[in-house]
Amino acid sequence: MQRGNLLISTVLWAVVALFIVYPLSFLLVESLKNAETQQYGLQNYIDFFKDPYYLKTFVNTLVLSLLVLLTTTLFGLPLAYMISRYRLKGKVIFTALILLPIVLPAYAGAFSLIILFGKMGVINLLLMDLGLVAKPINFLYGVHGLVFVQSIHLLPFIVLSLSAGFTNIDPSLEEASEVEGASGIKRFFTITLPLATPNYLAGAVLVFLWPFTDWLTPLIFGQTDYLPSISYINIAYHFTDMHRKYMGIVSVVVSAVICVSIFLLSKAWVERKKYTSLSKGTTLEGRIIYPPILIQIGSYLYMLFIAVLVLLIPVVLGLSAFSRRWVLQPFPTYWTLENFKLIFIETPGLLKNSLLFSGTALLFGIAFGLPAAYLITRTHTTGKEALDFIITLMLAFPGIALGVSYLLAFWEGIPLATHWIIMPLSLFVRRLPYFLRMAHASYLQLDISLEEAAEVSGASKLYTFFTISLPLLLKGLFVGVVMFFIMAFQEISTAIFLYRGGWETLPIGIYLNWHRGMEFGIAGAMAFFMIVIIFVLLLIVAKIGGGILGAAWGSSGGRY
Amino acid sequence: MFIKIENLYKKFGHVVAVDHVNLEIKQGEIITLLGPSGCGKTTTLRCIAGLEKPEEGDVIIDGKPMFSQGFVPPSQRGIGMVFQNYAIWPHLRVFDNVAYGLKLQNLPRTVIHEKVEEALTAVGLSGMEKRYPGQLSGGQQQRVALARALVRHPKVLLLDEPLSNLDAKLRERMRFEIKSLVRRLHITAVYVTHDQAEAMVISDRIAVMETGKIVQLGVPEDIYKKPANRFVADFIGTTNFIAGSLVEVQLDKGKAYLQTDFGRILCTLADSFQVPSDSTVQASIRPEEIEIIPSATQKENVFRATIAHRAYLGNFLYIFVTIDNTLLRVQVPYNLSQKEGEEIIIYLNPEKCMILP
Ligand SMILES: Nc1ncnc2c1ncn2[C@@H]1O[C@H](COP(=O)(O)OP(=O)(O)OP(=O)(O)O)[C@@H](O)[C@H]1O
Ligand SMILES: [Mg+2]
Repeated sequence: MQRGNLLISTVLWAVVALFIVYPLSFLLVESLKNAETQQYGLQNYIDFFKDPYYLKTFVNTLVLSLLVLLTTTLFGLPLAYMISRYRLKGKVIFTALILLPIVLPAYAGAFSLIILFGKMGVINLLLMDLGLVAKPINFLYGVHGLVFVQSIHLLPFIVLSLSAGFTNIDPSLEEASEVEGASGIKRFFTITLPLATPNYLAGAVLVFLWPFTDWLTPLIFGQTDYLPSISYINIAYHFTDMHRKYMGIVSVVVSAVICVSIFLLSKAWVERKKYTSLSKGTTLEGRIIYPPILIQIGSYLYMLFIAVLVLLIPVVLGLSAFSRRWVLQPFPTYWTLENFKLIFIETPGLLKNSLLFSGTALLFGIAFGLPAAYLITRTHTTGKEALDFIITLMLAFPGIALGVSYLLAFWEGIPLATHWIIMPLSLFVRRLPYFLRMAHASYLQLDISLEEAAEVSGASKLYTFFTISLPLLLKGLFVGVVMFFIMAFQEISTAIFLYRGGWETLPIGIYLNWHRGMEFGIAGAMAFFMIVIIFVLLLIVAKIGGGILGAAWGSSGGRY
Repeated sequence: MFIKIENLYKKFGHVVAVDHVNLEIKQGEIITLLGPSGCGKTTTLRCIAGLEKPEEGDVIIDGKPMFSQGFVPPSQRGIGMVFQNYAIWPHLRVFDNVAYGLKLQNLPRTVIHEKVEEALTAVGLSGMEKRYPGQLSGGQQQRVALARALVRHPKVLLLDEPLSNLDAKLRERMRFEIKSLVRRLHITAVYVTHDQAEAMVISDRIAVMETGKIVQLGVPEDIYKKPANRFVADFIGTTNFIAGSLVEVQLDKGKAYLQTDFGRILCTLADSFQVPSDSTVQASIRPEEIEIIPSATQKENVFRATIAHRAYLGNFLYIFVTIDNTLLRVQVPYNLSQKEGEEIIIYLNPEKCMILP
């Protein structure tokens, strides 16, 4: 059997080497190449950090990250506390609702906020109609707008991780502090919050990294001075100005290095801080409080406020999709299916591509993810931690960086980039952690003695896997499959670099429609169409395996 | 009365955890709640601490109503508590765990250091201040919990199986340690344990609980010698139950004759005893109270028995004897000369042979 494990391990490592390590090394090497002399050295990096412009974009991005983290934390903390501690009716529905932004593409949020809060958006028009303001208020175009939209998008990460942290705390730890004389606030800051910190950090790091990877939202809001956006522009539009192109590549590498280092640092810190659970013999599932009526009302209002913000995205997109000329009017007046007629000329091709690419990526994902999960949870093969580690790293790796490195690596030498297979391949690599996490979590929940019993009865490992493990893992795996599919379906950052005429996916179609001539109605209708698909998939996930989703993403205590 | 619990009633869903418990505890007294798993000991303790709000009943500490007339939160009750699962904060070092409550009182640093040091020494943990709980053994963690509960010299100390995870030697030492500390500081303590020997040693009075009710409250000796019912007799120590039917009840003397499979026995009726309608009852006599006599000097309660089995238990001997088909367990000195299969004469003292409800 050891030989079988070794074989699996070898094959998996070969895939990782070819599709992760090899292309990324190209990116690194390319970033060292001098545009004029074609020689290798650190000159590009020196130029990058000497150029006040790039330094500015770097600082801008850092500030944006901090602001987004601050905002999501401030708004997420009370929310997480209410969800995990208060006995409130309708909490479950609400929790499902605020998960929505995770799976929605970031550009969907940006579009709907422009319709609502743009210069000529609903709110401004209303305010001007009422005579409250003379000139439109700039809600969005600037760092505040980015903070606004990215915070909405990322709030679920903070809420999920914090509430998992709160729930995991053994109630008696807080009771002990109460008995020792600590009242509410004091107890929260000395016991509850420190104990939830490892979980919080796991979510916070994803939030913090986001602005280093999201190039599209700043562009939609007309901001270019952010690291990922300028990388995108430099690489995608400057074929002639080689210096700018290389600055773009350098900034991609810089973002990637920052993301990966922060990710690793936080992981190491979490590992160190992860408190071994000490308690024994408690059966309670976290502490539940019956809040006094005033706090209850306040909580409901707060939850409602967040829910409205989150729901605005699909609702506004929907309204714009079914109306025409929703410009310069606070509310749509002319209802039509025109947009849908238009998108259905273009969309079937896009949809076909999206389905084909995501579907193929999913097949790769299962073929790789299942053996990988088995190897990581059930064997002692050397290097399995490293394998897990590299794959998990892809969560933090900017999509642009992957796209560029694939373009560099698979153009000559191994000319995969000329074949459509490059699209599902890149999706597979980028979204693999989503499936692996889920497979991993379901494997951990599967009692090993069930498999051992089969082996004792005379079944081989392979037979055991197909007759015992797989049927029992099915639910968790299915959730993993759907999550993977959703995330692959809405992917744009990598695909935007790799697509060629005829390979456009639905997200790329949305982007192009917006980019071409501000065809807002059409882009909005497409985005709405996409949200509907994602939402249906999400419902399936929620129905089948809400619990397992939590186990894989919520309470993993830093193993995001 | 320092602590007064009146008519305490608490249920979880349909499970009644505490069923109309009344308990009065004097200042400086150590009361033990003793009973089998799930009988409501922890829940009672948590109601006293204010960690649980009962459905009914009053909790009064030091003359101040804690519950029912308003509700005083745990943080304002001035109690120390050792939790059944220790509840040591994993993110704080041993020192900070113990110092937590003192810091809340805004005491000067030197005083805090002194007190923490004193408490840690008392539980035998000095030198471990810098460790995190994850680096301690189960027993050490339990002692941190103990130090934390004692360090503020609270008026009331609640201990939920505080020694369950220690080895026999240390447990014995800690019992003594807790008792002398409680005495010295005039602390009133409620102690929860499964362990009847521990309850006997540490308590001034014991409250035996069964399914949420206190079935007997008394000094350890009374609990052992005059169990209120069969449950208590069985749970505290070991005993022999002899089934039979009442044939002659002398309520004025508190005595009755019991017709058993092997003959008539004169027994004492327990205080609260009421004759059941079918008059079948059980008498209880402890193994060490069955006497072995050289010859039948008395007329009553004397029987010939055969030794079925001898078990050597160090400083004494357990023998299992049969009278007709009834098996009795008798504790005798280790130098008993009779062998298995031989016959002895036993005497069941009517004073010690109790008919229990
Ligand atoms: N939070 C709770 N929710 C539901 N039932 C509970 C809860 N806490 C206790 N119970 C139930 O109440 C009863 C009494 O529990 P309690 O913990 O007081 O027992 P105990 O005497 O301390 O037992 P042990 O010696 O095992 O610690 C049990 O039947 C228990 O199952
Ligand atoms: Mg208990």
